Amino acid sequence: MTSRYVGKGIRRVDGADKVTGQAVFVADITVPRMLHAKVVRAGVAHARILSIDTAEAESMPGVHKVVTGQGCNILFGTCLWDQPPIAVDRVRHAGEPVAVVVARTEHQAEEAARKVKVSYDPLPILLDPVEAAKPGAPLIHEKNGQYRRIGYIVRSEEGSNIFHRYKLRKGDVAAGFAEADVVHEEHFEFPLSAHCALEPHGAICRFTQAGDIEMWASNQAPFVLRDVLADMFKVPVTRIRVRVPYLGGGFGGKSDVCMEPMVAYVASQVPGWAVKLVLSRKEVFTSSLIGRGMKGRMKVGARKDGTFVAMEAEIYFADGAYGDTSWPVVTVAGHNCTGPFEFPNCKVDSCGVYTNSPPVGAFRGYGHPEGQFMMGRMVDMLARKLGMPLPDLMRKNFLCEGKMNGLGQVIKKSNGDIFACLDKVEKAINASPLPAEDETYLYGRGLTAMMKSPKMSANAASTAFLQVSNDGSVFINLAGIEMGQGCQTVFSQMAAEVLKIPIERVRMYREVDTQFSPWEWQTVASMQTYRGGRAVVLACERAIEMLRHNASLVLGCPIEEVEYDGDACFRTGQASNRLTVGSLARGYMFGNGLTVGTPVQTTGVYRVQGVTEPDPDTGMGNAAGSWTFGVQAADVRIEKATGKVDVLHFASCFDPGRVMNPVTIRGQIAGGVVQGLGAALMEKLEFGPDGVIKNTNFAQYRIPTIDDMPDKFTIEFVETPNPEGPFCAKPIAEHPIVAVAPTILNALRDATGVEFTRLPVRPADILEALRKTEGV
Amino acid sequence: MTTITFKVNGIAQTVDLEHDRVRLSEVLRTQLGLTGTKIGCGVGKCGSCTVLVDGEPVTSCTLLARKADGTEVRTIEGMADGTTLHPIQEAFLDAGAVQCGFCTPGLVMRTYALLKGHPNADDGQIVEMLRHHLCRCTGYEAILEAVRLSRGRMQSA
Repeated sequence: MTSRYVGKGIRRVDGADKVTGQAVFVADITVPRMLHAKVVRAGVAHARILSIDTAEAESMPGVHKVVTGQGCNILFGTCLWDQPPIAVDRVRHAGEPVAVVVARTEHQAEEAARKVKVSYDPLPILLDPVEAAKPGAPLIHEKNGQYRRIGYIVRSEEGSNIFHRYKLRKGDVAAGFAEADVVHEEHFEFPLSAHCALEPHGAICRFTQAGDIEMWASNQAPFVLRDVLADMFKVPVTRIRVRVPYLGGGFGGKSDVCMEPMVAYVASQVPGWAVKLVLSRKEVFTSSLIGRGMKGRMKVGARKDGTFVAMEAEIYFADGAYGDTSWPVVTVAGHNCTGPFEFPNCKVDSCGVYTNSPPVGAFRGYGHPEGQFMMGRMVDMLARKLGMPLPDLMRKNFLCEGKMNGLGQVIKKSNGDIFACLDKVEKAINASPLPAEDETYLYGRGLTAMMKSPKMSANAASTAFLQVSNDGSVFINLAGIEMGQGCQTVFSQMAAEVLKIPIERVRMYREVDTQFSPWEWQTVASMQTYRGGRAVVLACERAIEMLRHNASLVLGCPIEEVEYDGDACFRTGQASNRLTVGSLARGYMFGNGLTVGTPVQTTGVYRVQGVTEPDPDTGMGNAAGSWTFGVQAADVRIEKATGKVDVLHFASCFDPGRVMNPVTIRGQIAGGVVQGLGAALMEKLEFGPDGVIKNTNFAQYRIPTIDDMPDKFTIEFVETPNPEGPFCAKPIAEHPIVAVAPTILNALRDATGVEFTRLPVRPADILEALRKTEGV
Repeated sequence: MTTITFKVNGIAQTVDLEHDRVRLSEVLRTQLGLTGTKIGCGVGKCGSCTVLVDGEPVTSCTLLARKADGTEVRTIEGMADGTTLHPIQEAFLDAGAVQCGFCTPGLVMRTYALLKGHPNADDGQIVEMLRHHLCRCTGYEAILEAVRLSRGRMQSA
């Protein structure tokens, strides 16, 4: 059957709200009896707090309260409870809150915040994760290892700064390397980086005098946030209401709980008043969550024919002051640094290390860009060592049906066809030859293959509530956060397709509200189309079933003889006697009022299947609920005089099972690629020796502009049906960023002969490398 | 206390300023309730807060509100005609140039300013104009297409 909506470039259902400025974000919200907060930040990266003097600030106009951490004994978390909502007696990063002024206006809060005086006794500053992980390094948390935690998954090492170590032990690595004809080993760095969603983080919180907690937050995980608040304040979950309006981009930077516990703690000190805080851009850089921050070593061994026999990696993450948001990234970076390749023998140690930066959290790709940056470059280097064309080496080792990944999971055909992705990318990139070096420019071509399998809670589920109205229009409530990825549009397409109704008659509930929305794990891991979509499809199928059931009661025939065509139900062969959907929606009412059947309101639930946490000893297990494979290639041009890199052509091909919407998916790929170019060529949080971040606005922390967009995009898809997904779809959202950095660096190597292993590679790095090679 | 009088989307407004460093964006958003103007960076580097002041695009997060005294300001709220979207707004939707939507109002305003002054703006002028805006979602491909599409539609409008 041909589809009407699925697979079509349907216009976004949230688009009109957004182009007119009517879409509401947290910063746009004003509620009655609302005050404004301004935070006094530490400004020193590691110190004991000696004293806080709030007297002058408290006497300033409009000030209701100055809140400090004095007397606060709360530690919040989801799996590792190591963070206070506001600094108590010590600051562990320079952006940490030490006092919060609450005043009638934002300006009054700002003016008063200037008057708060804090004195500190400095402590040693640790920024490098390898140094911080060494035995004898000063401890950032003396209680590491003693904090409340879920011990099966968070493996803290007491007496050190390592709050989590993930170990992968597959096969026998020593024996594997002994079989290798060629071994290559290299060190890599992926710096701390900022998500830079255009909407700064914000939250409004009120502790009502009746004992309830209300919150509006820019957050991808309202139900997690709700549970954290319940745990922090010992309030029943049901007395907490979290609302998320439109979200102005997340990229993982809003998927973890970060500034909300602080706002809630402050609100708890002024019951009855709503407290609003929207971070300045500077605060987003210094005091929300940041990403990446990896130093790693990788070693890969291969036989002469190219067969990979063993890999080993040691990875350290500079995870900042607190560990709850980064430990799972550490785990994923570890078990998926093998990329889309089969290795019979693996040994990986991936460590989350406390350092004196803002805490690290999820960032698009979730450990995959870090781990596969190494693997993507390693395979390129190994190909030359082996004297093999890179695509041949890839094909020799690709994961595919029947092969086993690092976790010990056996890949199925439905998981995707990376060979076909490589074919398409090679064809696209080889269609035009790479220009030869000339007076002004060097040219290079790079290629990388990737795999992403999202990390998620083993009980991660989506729920759709569906109601059919008396005019046949349909309302769906699913708490997937619309943050630009387009899930509301894709859900609408799926519902219209299954129900056979015009898409205009499907209405997705816009605001997520934990009081009314069905439980959803969280909007992360590229799972909305896949997991949320299954819930939507199921709810729609059940609605059809209920409509047919109601009709069967009216028609006096078995339900098997009732057909549904989108507008009406009718008995097979009696299409002229139609019972409209609207007439069946609330049960069917005969002329005399007698009503049969039940209102058509359904629930569709989908939970990821068979996911378990990795085994604590081997790190193996069924940790991935799905895979998506892809291949990317780039042609770059380097200006010899300046080291400036232009991306002439960037080609991507992914296997998302089935493309739901060619317009929105293209936007995801192009957007992910350009974000990846930022990581490859531009972005790095710069810390001074005092541990304070120096580049805290977009003039200093440059992210790609239109000038950095590739001259040409190739964006293609292979569609290997995935029967587990709705309409056979697989996740595709974070994926386009995963392989961009190694692809670009492989191209830079091709152009210059220089093996770049540290991100970002900026013009100055290229010039320096070119000078060195000329000197040889 | 400083008071300013100006026109916003054709309507006369008089506003008291809390202090003399108040930015135009704050007046629009907080005092006039025009929250379509977005603050992404606060220092005029992301373009999300772009509005037109006497027809010229400005980053309203850096413009002192008192300097808007006596001007005519146009914001995103002044673009659609009732429920009929402006051709630029339609073009952004058709080109798939909207994702999270936070940068969109500023882009629409800047596009309007460019095409009003240069109905035949070439790609070079379009790129020059888009250089003032950051978008973290789209990779710019669809935004560039949206502005080209807007150009055609405003010419034929």
